Amino acid sequence: MSETKIQKLTLVANDGNKIEVDRQVAEKSVLIKNMLDDLGDEQMSTEVPIPNVNDTVLKKVIEWCEHHKNDPAAPQDDDSDSRKKTTDIDEWDQKFMQVDQEMLFEIILASNYLDIKPLLDVGCKTVANMIKGKSPEEIRKTFNITNDFTPEEEEQIRRENEWAEDR
Amino acid sequence: MYEILSQSKQRSLLTDLPDEVLQQITYYCSANDVLLNIQRLSKRFGRLASEPLLWRHHCKVEFKYWDSQHAIKAKFLGNAVDVDWKALYTYRREIDAQTTRLLNGILEAQVDRISKFRSISSFGYDAKDTLVRHCHAHEDTQDVLARRYYASAVLDHVHRSKALDLWRRVLHGEDVPIEKALGAFDLFVLHDHYGDLTEISDLFDNLLKHLRQEHPGIDDLPPRQKALTALRFLRKNNFVGLSSELAYRDLQNNFIGIALQDQDHPSLPLISVAIFCAVAQRLGLDAKCCGIPNHVHAMIIPAHGESLDDRPLREGEAQAEPMYLDPYGFDDEIPPQALRIILTQYGLRPHQFTEFMTDTDNANIILRTSRNILATVQEFRAQGTGATNTGHPTIRLHANPFADLDNAFYSALWANYMFGNPARPSEMTTQRQFIPFILERFERLYPMDASLIEEYIVPQYGITDHTSENWELREALRVVRVADQTPKQRRLRDTQAAREGVKYKVGQVFRHRRYAYMGVITGWDMECGMTSAWIAHNNVDSLSRGRQQSFYHALVEDTSIRYVAEENIEVIEPDVPVSLMSLAGKFFKRWDKENRVFVSNIQDEYPED
Repeated sequence: MSETKIQKLTLVANDGNKIEVDRQVAEKSVLIKNMLDDLGDEQMSTEVPIPNVNDTVLKKVIEWCEHHKNDPAAPQDDDSDSRKKTTDIDEWDQKFMQVDQEMLFEIILASNYLDIKPLLDVGCKTVANMIKGKSPEEIRKTFNITNDFTPEEEEQIRRENEWAEDR
Repeated sequence: MYEILSQSKQRSLLTDLPDEVLQQITYYCSANDVLLNIQRLSKRFGRLASEPLLWRHHCKVEFKYWDSQHAIKAKFLGNAVDVDWKALYTYRREIDAQTTRLLNGILEAQVDRISKFRSISSFGYDAKDTLVRHCHAHEDTQDVLARRYYASAVLDHVHRSKALDLWRRVLHGEDVPIEKALGAFDLFVLHDHYGDLTEISDLFDNLLKHLRQEHPGIDDLPPRQKALTALRFLRKNNFVGLSSELAYRDLQNNFIGIALQDQDHPSLPLISVAIFCAVAQRLGLDAKCCGIPNHVHAMIIPAHGESLDDRPLREGEAQAEPMYLDPYGFDDEIPPQALRIILTQYGLRPHQFTEFMTDTDNANIILRTSRNILATVQEFRAQGTGATNTGHPTIRLHANPFADLDNAFYSALWANYMFGNPARPSEMTTQRQFIPFILERFERLYPMDASLIEEYIVPQYGITDHTSENWELREALRVVRVADQTPKQRRLRDTQAAREGVKYKVGQVFRHRRYAYMGVITGWDMECGMTSAWIAHNNVDSLSRGRQQSFYHALVEDTSIRYVAEENIEVIEPDVPVSLMSLAGKFFKRWDKENRVFVSNIQDEYPED
């Protein structure tokens, strides 16, 4: 009965917790939207399992989708490569991203899996802003990155790019 | 269990992100963060930071202008992995740094500037982004006027090098599109504005888009209908011709790039024809200029063995007739008979008609444009110059009109030199006539062009050539080069006479008591330092304080440098001396709003002013 279009969906996190959301909110996820489009409403159970995301993160992601549910869809353009990338983040999103690192990366992973490009962008911009202006040692410390270069290898890269320093 | 949990707490989650996400993060980092920091983090980050797509992105967004050696358009369209984008990006950044260093050197002292101009122009168009950036130096930059002035001067020199190179290729018979052959004139007056050769082509491509939108079936029409549709489109949208014949001699009517961008698109018949031809050629027509004396026409030449009307040739018809058009003045084609009448009126005989009714080459069109420019400049100068001139023709182009009048004139001299007497290229007399005029301007206005003179004029003469012209040429180069290599003599105020006798300082703005022009002091002498002939000619002895008073060199709003007696100086203190601002950078760092004087950039010469 196609006229009774499903309006509510229940998302099931990997730990079994269920969260009810408006269809419009859930469709911020291109993964879910495509699934609904492909299956058609008749075939569709209103319970959607999200096996890669836990309850806490899923709630956080839904909070973001709720807030942005009326945003216009980003234009599909093939030439985004030729525009300058800005790391400006709107105020609400900045507050939203004030979470510990683990949560930040979980949000990024979830938005990547659920295919919510604008949220993924906000996440990437947040990480980029944390990297901005830091020395390699500071970045390694911040993100717990192991340096697997030999000192000679690293010195060579440093020397090759010295010229960039005076700008 | 507890162990595992605590371990998972400690793991570095950033590195748990897949490559594609980390890659996206690098796009949001500045190129410098990637080069200096991110790629040193670990082998994985080192690999991600070398992705060609990332550096293609930076090449695309950070640089607008590329030297033609890169064939950048093809590279951007091609496969990303076929190009070492990181190396290309690095190269451009190095050029950027070198250009800035060289420009700073030019700003630092009035010595050894020619080689720095030359070094920058050897980077070709790769230096343009950097120069444009300095042309737009922020108001608060401590040497904003000097920086903008010299960045523009270097860019002008780069543009001239490009224009002359293009003309040389025309001269060697290379098939250059007409809008580029004429766009080279624009390069002499372009500065940091829009409208270089590539941009002129883009303007035409855009125009074609509009034409095709308005006439969707145009590409399927037979050639004659195609040409007429294009002609009427251009005329209806005012892209050709002049709205008023009164403005016929306006200098801007000679510049195809300006004509395309001006909202009224004024142009002389020749430029109108070029605009039409550039459009018609983009429609696949064989459109050429036709050299009717005094009024260039356009012609469409039928393809071999075809007519312009999609009909087969008639029996015995060897070649179909071309069609003639006058985009400047008429919506319809011009019957050949009408042209024959015009030619008869010029006193030509029927056997000469074919010579004038066939297509003419770019060299001839360039030459004719240069003569139109010379005519305008001469008409303007004949009316007397000065800021009070109100009659036509106007000389407004992109920047200071007087400076651009010089630039336009200079372009015409070069064109005349390069294309003079194309019918008899072995005979150099007409070409050589223009050399002294070029040299005069070279010495006065364009010393940085020494390299261009050496490249394009010197080879005209053999080393063993003992003509006086050759001697004058080499002498002019020698004098300019020596002056460029000699540090300025320092002018100190170390005597009482200099301290008290010379009342005003370098940077003082004044109005001339007798001639009322505004100027700014750029130097001084304790007494008149000119020759006795100059003193006599200018009636210096009739001044109330005669020749024994201090005299000042001054830069005037019409770009001239004058020599003024102290008693004729009336100090003025404007909020901003608007008409001097674009010129003052030649000698000054900035305008000091508080003290209402210019701040000197020639302290190597006047250290105490």
